[in-house]
Amino acid sequence: MTTIRLDAVRRTFGAVRAVDDISLTIGQGEFFTLLGPSGCGKTTLLRMIAGFCDVEQGSVWFGDQRIDKLPAHRRNTGMVFQNYAIFPNLTVARNVAYGLRARGVDRAQIATRVEKALQTVRLGGYGERWPHQLSGGQLQRVAIARSLVIEPAVLLFDEPLSNLDAQLRVQMRVEIRQLQQSLGLTAVYVTHDQEEALAISDRIAVLRAGRVEQVGSPEAIYRAPETAFVAEFMGATNMLPGEAGAFDGTTTPVAACGHTLHVAGQVAAPGAKVMLSLRPETLRLVAAAAGGPCLPVRLQLREFLGPIVRLHMVLPDGTPIRVSALAGQDAAAMPEGDLALAYDPAQVVAFPAP
Amino acid sequence: MKSLGGIAAFRNATTLIALAFLALFLLYPLWLVLQNSLQDEASGQFTLQNFTQILSSPYYLGSFRNSVVAGALSTVLASLIGVPLAFCLARVDLPGKSALMTLASLPLVLPSFVSAYALVLLFGHAGVVTVALRAIGIPIGSIYGMSGIVIVFTLTLYPYVLLPTVAGFRAIDVSIEESGRNLGASRWYVFRTVLLPVVMPAMLAGALLVFIEALENFGVPSVLAEDKPYLAVDIFKLFAGESDSNPAAAGALSVLLVATTALVLLLQRHYLARRRFATGARRAPPAIPLSRPWRLAASVFSWGIVLLSVMPFVAVVVISFLRFHGPVLSWEFGLNNYASLLRGSYQPLYSTLLLASMAALLATLLGAPIGYVLTRHRTRLSGLLDVVGMIPFAVSGTVLAIGLLLAFNSGWLVLTGGWLILVVAYVVRKLPFSIRSASAIVHQIDPSLEEASINLGVSPLKTFVTLTVPLMLGGLAGGMVLIWVTAASELSSTIVLYSSKWATMTVTMFQALQGTGAGEAAAAASILIVFTLVPLLLVYRLLRRHDGSLL
Repeated sequence: MTTIRLDAVRRTFGAVRAVDDISLTIGQGEFFTLLGPSGCGKTTLLRMIAGFCDVEQGSVWFGDQRIDKLPAHRRNTGMVFQNYAIFPNLTVARNVAYGLRARGVDRAQIATRVEKALQTVRLGGYGERWPHQLSGGQLQRVAIARSLVIEPAVLLFDEPLSNLDAQLRVQMRVEIRQLQQSLGLTAVYVTHDQEEALAISDRIAVLRAGRVEQVGSPEAIYRAPETAFVAEFMGATNMLPGEAGAFDGTTTPVAACGHTLHVAGQVAAPGAKVMLSLRPETLRLVAAAAGGPCLPVRLQLREFLGPIVRLHMVLPDGTPIRVSALAGQDAAAMPEGDLALAYDPAQVVAFPAP
Repeated sequence: MKSLGGIAAFRNATTLIALAFLALFLLYPLWLVLQNSLQDEASGQFTLQNFTQILSSPYYLGSFRNSVVAGALSTVLASLIGVPLAFCLARVDLPGKSALMTLASLPLVLPSFVSAYALVLLFGHAGVVTVALRAIGIPIGSIYGMSGIVIVFTLTLYPYVLLPTVAGFRAIDVSIEESGRNLGASRWYVFRTVLLPVVMPAMLAGALLVFIEALENFGVPSVLAEDKPYLAVDIFKLFAGESDSNPAAAGALSVLLVATTALVLLLQRHYLARRRFATGARRAPPAIPLSRPWRLAASVFSWGIVLLSVMPFVAVVVISFLRFHGPVLSWEFGLNNYASLLRGSYQPLYSTLLLASMAALLATLLGAPIGYVLTRHRTRLSGLLDVVGMIPFAVSGTVLAIGLLLAFNSGWLVLTGGWLILVVAYVVRKLPFSIRSASAIVHQIDPSLEEASINLGVSPLKTFVTLTVPLMLGGLAGGMVLIWVTAASELSSTIVLYSSKWATMTVTMFQALQGTGAGEAAAAASILIVFTLVPLLLVYRLLRRHDGSLL
């Protein structure tokens, strides 16, 4: 139950700034995710909080206590590792009891707390088993129980689900989220999987090359990306290069791919080069004659993905553009004759061209 | 890292103790050998005369040439045997494969000069086979000199090539081979263009070890060379010989030997640094389906080679129970060889057990923390330790022993004549192995285990003691037994350093060989074999679990 504050923390490895003056405040009981591609510094940042990586400059605070000079074993964080890190030489119960024994908790109390923690992760009665008798998902539950039982100030997750298969991953992330909410613990979660981040987090920080690109709720990060990097990293989008025209009071016309798109608000000075992001699910296939803001397209390929259908279209100048629609709706709604894509000017996001 | 607390003190203490130990018992003695070789013996003036004398002497040049040629031939032959055998062991469904694998690694840890002696007993002037063949009128060529030495080196050292190459073949994912076949290549073409190049670094690394070992080995040429000059033997003679003693020349030859082995070792490191073909097999590739005749041929070849290499040791044990009349064997069984060997005293046996145990314990106690520190907490100072710790590889036992004698014969620390100097020599010689096996063990322990422990509130030092050490113990015990075994059969530095009170079984055997006690030598060799084999077989299961890392 702690707020975590990172104040301009920095860490360099050789010539690379793995973490480059990052400042963040993580609220009490918040589920906060560090998201980014490999090498963006997310794991380094997490390890700084845990105390496995020295803070070169800046400071780390738990509440009003500065902890970056505190040795790792005195920080009272509960970390869940990517490869579970279950001690192979100890039984499940001894694994979970490990932190309690280190804290000198008395034996009777350890037994009850361990059993309770195992029940919390739905492994009641597994205490006497050996780690090699457990599956990957069960091992990760043991690791979570081991971190919870010490009643840590904060929970830290280092890509805890990446060694599990896809189905189990989805199931475990729900369990992790429910546990964290019911216990009201502050959690920092590292992942490179944007869907996982969107599903599990209160807030997300998207990291790139040691810097924070954007911090916000999953909805804000997805719907209103502040940079082209965030827009592209948070799931598939169509990026169209264009040139801004004069703002007419409600929309800005942007000349892109041989057409003019209307984007809500004043996005750039007239003549400025911009990139437009159009999410596939915001586009709708209509007949060319339908009117309203739309782009003429040709259908190239239709991919049936079960719940949705992905349509690969081409603009007249050859630029590819993808559209997602709920399956069942597209076939019925496939218009006759020339096709066009209707878009909502409010859902087009413009960025300055790089 | 500041946050490491006690572990930093542990790291620094380990590094400093290890560096001090190596400086005192390795670098300082080696420096004295070098200094000795650059001095005029009478006046103590700096001179290059010892080197010019050696380099202009046809005898010593011949000695150097013989050693290098024997080493090179053995290396080539060991590779020619080792690679096909490795492929059979890795990819052919052979009968009794795991027994084969165990037997194949035995020659590495059994004393090679025993194998040489077996060759003499069987094919020597008065050998069993020689006499039998002569009786029916078949003359047999001499096995003394180059041919015998190369045969023994090949048969005892080929596991150095075999073991890493087997591991190499097993590490190639079958998909690589399948993609080659899919692209239209025959099995042989895939072997030649993909499999062989991929295992080449592992094979060459092993082959260079064969070369170094063959160059440094003292026991085998001293048994088989007769009057042919060999570097390791000549160094010993020049230093300790009664008639033609010349310590300065011994020093110069030592420098030559160390320089050659060091050069080869550097070449090996340089070569390996640029080549690592890891293909990350998820599981060992399956056995190749072979037709009956081919499978039979592979089995005969594999079992033939392995049995041939183990046969000398079996022969020695059998012969030790036969009665000798002078140098000639008779077919009467009895224990009289053992009786006459042990009539003298049990002391050599006790000495061997005691010295080897002390050496194994100390080398592990010193090597394990170094291996841990080098793997987990590298600093610039421990990087230095990494380099210095590998120097004993390049220094032959004889040269190290000469250095130790020069250093600790007088002055503030006198060790000569006691047991400690033997233990020190063994510990220094076995240290690289101890360090390597410890760091291989640490590599297998996921660092996040230690981090998890620290994260749960246990200090790093306590984590090391209560978590890491118990996790390492199994592997360390296996490594310790291997050190024990090789220390018990050590000859090349023992022969220089022993005093009569601390003569070991190897010395007893060596002396029996030099004299006329062929039967006693066989008995001593057998005792040595039993004492090395039993602990090896006891930890065999442990060995298999950690297979590659321990040898």
